[in-house]
Amino acid sequence: MTEVTKDKTIPAGQYLEMPAPMPSLGAILWIAWFSFREMARRRRLISLGLINLLPVMVVASIRIWFPDEGITAQQQLASLSHDTFITFLIPIVALAVGVSAIGEQVEDGTIVFMWTRPIRRRAIFLGRLLAAQTVSWLLLSLSLVLCFIVMVSEGPQIITWEFLRLYFQTFLIIGLGTFTYAALFATMGTFFKKPVLPAIIFAFGWENLVANIPARIQEWSLSFHLQNLVDRPPVDTTDLPGILGALLATVIQRDPVPKLQSIAVLLVVMVVATILGIWLLRQKEIEK
Amino acid sequence: MTGAGINPTVGSATTRISANRVGKWFGEVIAVNNCTLNVGNGVVGLLGANGAGKSTLFKMLAGLIEPSHGSVRVFGSRLRDEVGWFRRVGFCPESDALPDWMTGREFLSLMLRLMGYDKVEVNRRVDYWLDRFELTGDAGRRLGGYSKGMRQKTKLAQALAHDPDVIFLDEPLNGMDPVSRKQSIDLVRELGEAGRTVMVSSHILPEVESMTSQIILIDRGKVLAEGSVTEIRDKIPEHPTTVALESANPRRLAAFLIGREHVVGVEVDERGRVVVRTDHALGFYRALPAWVLDNELALEEIMTLDDSLEAVFQYLTEH
Repeated sequence: MTEVTKDKTIPAGQYLEMPAPMPSLGAILWIAWFSFREMARRRRLISLGLINLLPVMVVASIRIWFPDEGITAQQQLASLSHDTFITFLIPIVALAVGVSAIGEQVEDGTIVFMWTRPIRRRAIFLGRLLAAQTVSWLLLSLSLVLCFIVMVSEGPQIITWEFLRLYFQTFLIIGLGTFTYAALFATMGTFFKKPVLPAIIFAFGWENLVANIPARIQEWSLSFHLQNLVDRPPVDTTDLPGILGALLATVIQRDPVPKLQSIAVLLVVMVVATILGIWLLRQKEIEK
Repeated sequence: MTGAGINPTVGSATTRISANRVGKWFGEVIAVNNCTLNVGNGVVGLLGANGAGKSTLFKMLAGLIEPSHGSVRVFGSRLRDEVGWFRRVGFCPESDALPDWMTGREFLSLMLRLMGYDKVEVNRRVDYWLDRFELTGDAGRRLGGYSKGMRQKTKLAQALAHDPDVIFLDEPLNGMDPVSRKQSIDLVRELGEAGRTVMVSSHILPEVESMTSQIILIDRGKVLAEGSVTEIRDKIPEHPTTVALESANPRRLAAFLIGREHVVGVEVDERGRVVVRTDHALGFYRALPAWVLDNELALEEIMTLDDSLEAVFQYLTEH
């Protein structure tokens, strides 16, 4: 068998039509699949996995040490979603996986093998991004699943329709948040040579700062819109901590915006970040 | 011959790769300066020292980096924009970077999948190229565990497995053992004979000489010369060429040649050959038969002593 086919001469000036590039959807799925496998093997995923045990430990602690405090499963879920996942876990997981999704391949030079295939760069970006989003979401979802197991170990009585609704709502909120943050961080990773510091400044500087400024400025943070989607059970104002909490919320937080508005904002940010990332990747040059 | 202007095509008359006054600088560093070249089918060697700008030129031609000025075309198109042409273009980078977590088979399979082949065709081609590069036994091992030579062969395989017409090989023999080196050289020659356009870069002269006589010399970002070694020599009339003439009567021949046109020096060496230094090889070769016939000089063999790339390259880079 000979692979080197003979007579490949093309008469001068008689070029054939450009062969069709690989269909984008097929290319995206192939790139996403192998990128997913690559990302799922990264060592940093182990440390991220350990960090993701934090909510499980919180739920287990409540279950073990405060079984009679009257903290309902719905309240636990809302609190985890509002204060742990949205303000800490989603940004950190999306950051760790997202910033390296594209930038690392460009930096180490392995992107050259993608760039010399008949694939449009948007397909490369979207494939890598989809993989980063999926890995991040699965990691966070695993944490949520473990929380569920710990919660229902209390007994089947906690599995109410309201609890299940809140639980699946949390899944979706985490998904939306992860996909949005990951798109933003992947774009930052494409733009910056060393993206980790700017990404940390954004996730834990800008987001925390802006989210705690009263009035409409809060709406300039992603975490505000994610938190806006969480159905919080009514605060118990019969004790001092509850009263103080309610007072603080009144001072700091403006009235929630419509949920549809928050969803729209998050989707727009995700789409704009993705388009910007694709544009940046088109301008990128290989250095190695 | 160099820099700007319309150049003759290196290789056959079919221009597949062209660069017109192309340049690239990174900050204040000029990597490639005003290069113009046209490359047809066959094997063309891009020869230059480390840092001469070979890889930058390759990357510009393959659409991986944008020229600071000028234009590059492959099949008359900009690869960077018209990515479909990559179905007919193969690129083997100089960089050693590979996805180390993948096995050799997985990597080649993915590369072919992304070319749009179905599973059966992917497997057939992967088997063939693994076998051709003697990597079949290591196909299931991670690339991270491959030796430098094996990694080099894997990179070559991914560049060739889709049967491209235009192939860029950037320092393809780096790190290969002598047997693999020989096999790869034979493969490059085979590709050239099959009508492919193969641009192969190297800083090692014998490597390029073993693959092709068609060369592009590059130094400090500038194309110094292009064409066959002999053509390049002929384009440099002021560069003395040394020719050895075997004769039954070397002293008579030497005495005759002294002071003739294009002859700048004559001596008889220890082997009894007449060694002539000429300032214009082509003119000398044209005049010699008439001199021999008209004057009944005995002449048995003509040898060019310094027609190697080494001599040409040294001369060009020093001037």
